[in-house]
Amino acid sequence: MKKIFMAALLLVTMIFAGCGGSDSAGGDKKLSVMLGSNVVSLDSAQATDVASFEVIADCIDGLMQLDADGKAIPALAESYDVSADGKTYTFHLREAKWANGDPVTAEDFVFAWRRHCKSSAEYSYIMGDTVACVKNADAVIKGGDPKTLGVSAPDPKTFVVELDAPVSFFPALMAFPTFYPINEKFYNSLAEGSYGTSPETFLSNGAFMLASYVPGAANIQLKKNDSYWDAAKVSINDWQYQVVTSSDNALTSFKNGTLNVVNIGGNQVAHVNQDAELAKNLKTFSSGLLNYLSFNQDPKNHHAGALANANLRLAISNAIDRESLVDNYVMNGAKATYTAVPIDFAPNAKTGKFFAEDQKQFSDVVSFNVSKAQEFLSKAKSELGKDSFELNLIFSNDGDANTKIVQAIKSQVEENLPGVMIKLQPMPKAEYLSNITSNSYDIALVDWVPDYNDPMTFLTLWTTTGSEIAEHWSNADYDKIISDCSTGHLAEDYDARWSALYDAEKILLDNAVIAPLFTSASAVLISPNVEGIEYHVAGISRVFKNVKLK
Amino acid sequence: MSKYIAKRILMSVLTLFVITFVLFVLIRIMPGDPFPVERMSAEMILQKREELGLNKPILIQFADYMTLLASGSFGNGTSLYNGAPIKPILTACLINSFKIGVLSILFGTVVGLAIGIVAALNRGKFLDGFCTLVSILGVCIPSYVFMIFLQYFFSYKIPFFPYFFDPSNFMASSIMPALSLSLFAVSTIARFTRNEMLEVINSDYVKLAESKGLYGFELIRRHVLRNALIPIVTVLAPLVVSLLTGAMVIEKIYGINGVGKLMVDAIAGQGVDYNYVLALSIVFSALYIGAMLVLDILYGIIDPRIRLTTKEG
Repeated sequence: MKKIFMAALLLVTMIFAGCGGSDSAGGDKKLSVMLGSNVVSLDSAQATDVASFEVIADCIDGLMQLDADGKAIPALAESYDVSADGKTYTFHLREAKWANGDPVTAEDFVFAWRRHCKSSAEYSYIMGDTVACVKNADAVIKGGDPKTLGVSAPDPKTFVVELDAPVSFFPALMAFPTFYPINEKFYNSLAEGSYGTSPETFLSNGAFMLASYVPGAANIQLKKNDSYWDAAKVSINDWQYQVVTSSDNALTSFKNGTLNVVNIGGNQVAHVNQDAELAKNLKTFSSGLLNYLSFNQDPKNHHAGALANANLRLAISNAIDRESLVDNYVMNGAKATYTAVPIDFAPNAKTGKFFAEDQKQFSDVVSFNVSKAQEFLSKAKSELGKDSFELNLIFSNDGDANTKIVQAIKSQVEENLPGVMIKLQPMPKAEYLSNITSNSYDIALVDWVPDYNDPMTFLTLWTTTGSEIAEHWSNADYDKIISDCSTGHLAEDYDARWSALYDAEKILLDNAVIAPLFTSASAVLISPNVEGIEYHVAGISRVFKNVKLK
Repeated sequence: MSKYIAKRILMSVLTLFVITFVLFVLIRIMPGDPFPVERMSAEMILQKREELGLNKPILIQFADYMTLLASGSFGNGTSLYNGAPIKPILTACLINSFKIGVLSILFGTVVGLAIGIVAALNRGKFLDGFCTLVSILGVCIPSYVFMIFLQYFFSYKIPFFPYFFDPSNFMASSIMPALSLSLFAVSTIARFTRNEMLEVINSDYVKLAESKGLYGFELIRRHVLRNALIPIVTVLAPLVVSLLTGAMVIEKIYGINGVGKLMVDAIAGQGVDYNYVLALSIVFSALYIGAMLVLDILYGIIDPRIRLTTKEG
């Protein structure tokens, strides 16, 4: 007994002896950044989430990178040539090294791109004909020979990509992690599945390298990569990510100095605004993420007979007060949106004007107008011969923000449209996706994250063969415009393509295939001593390479 | 005795097999795919399902899984961590949860015993009431609420402990989660100790010892505590397992890379990672069954009546 007591006493002494060295709490000068969710994978072929893409981009450079304004500028490619027909890109690589001293070669890109197509993971779609149009990518994704992919390395410093059609935003796409290189020799030296699961099994060629990481780690340490080609511009040496999933926790950790960059929710924004000193650190960035209601129009679905009626959909869309939604429920700087492409997104390469700058262009079909909504409803009632409609609205309850939004929508719709009842059905994300793919829903609250800065990242969703989050709506004219703009004759004519995309958006909204709600924003608290974080609306949401600590 | 032990082991293996089967079937009939599907076409989803063998009949899939388990592997992930092998990742998380679990068991047992002894020795007095109140509070307050309370006062108001778990400062960052986790153990052990001690104190042999002139600490240590400890061990075994298998909410909010957090991540991802959920459930079940097995065997050794009943039955 005495021995046990002594051992316990010793242990407790040791524990408290260790406490004094705690340097994480309180005014730490090191950059500590909140990550809103776990890093799911550091393998660029397997990554599917914002957090993973961001950490990969901290450590690996692609052919191109985005500058502070979101324009594509050279990274590993010193320059590139485009063939006259816009279908062949030749990238000339600069002298750059992997962290193990190997040179970065065109073969590294060939290896990575082939592997990504072959992996048939979620993001391999981006290589195919709806986005990057890399020659034969779709065939390879479906199990074809990876060697037939339209990529080649005539010499170690030249990387050639052949496309099925010209893609106006192809250079900007090269900043997206799915297109990053992987050192083949290093990859092949690892056990299967172990790539990117520790600092030892992950090879950087970018601004930073992993100092400590294990799968699922809530704390990820990074350090400067001295062999980085642009190392002279990188001024932070050691920094860290901390995964924080609660906004309350994020705010508290910012206030006590544990973290110096955090994202907060609508409720916390209201709290921060009450404190003038704290509010000085608050910044809001548009995130390019569109929140909308998806109407299931498949007549086979039990209630969809009703939602296949365009007037009923128009009635719902016009009965929602989007301004009240963002001001009273979202509250983090989100913007009410009346177009199918979000606000502050996809600037025209020639005029610089955002695609959805004119929010009133579809106001005859998307607005908040109760009398018009009721007119649509009475038309729907007479066309369907029904007086009341009960519709379920499914949403993912992973965050509490969604619950508040759908409750507001329910009360607005039921109040403004007598006879329409909305039944709310919260569910976990996986079940929600399964309900959508298996067609068991009437209305779904969807938030779509853009992968690249072009209207197509949204507009391809609603083609007949588009995403699995489809409304079971099919329109030959719409499909034709999208196909002409991606691989058809319009792909070669920038202006004609741009205006055709508006035509497609008009078809979509005239038919109220979806009811756009708002463009999300990120409300961020940044310590005054941190400068130079670059926020982007598509692809990599934050870039830390140029951060300076004062 | 060896027959009894063999029988118990066989029963445990069978129980584990049944649990694995039920879990396997339940996970397979759950809605959703074990990989992210948002950007996949119907064709790609089918291809991926085929790749993972999810379109085979469920019994064949189960047989395949059992073969995998028999080879000592849990397979690879389906949506988490590049589809890397599960075993090393799970082992690392288990070690983290174990370390904090051991600390909380130690704290829970020492403090729980102390509170129980003090309460029993001061029966009916203020200290007894106070200790009872503490143990009731310990049962009522969920450990994560206590954790948030500690985090607020001892990391935010007084920055003594790290605000988030810091693997490079393991000891300092383990204190708050270990204390929170031990709360339930403290109160359970305190209540049991108090009740058992009172029973023993009133027994004839203690009275005899007292009449022989044995008093104070010596009496408590040699006669009362030793006899009162036996039933306490019974409650301690399942408590130990629950503390070792981590606490989902605490690990998630404090950012500890343990099995509780791993379970939450496996369930809450874009696709529920079947293989992680299965592997973790099997490990948790095995630990519980193992603890019960050890207890059963210990009982058999301590109390021969248990063995006899089994034989007769």
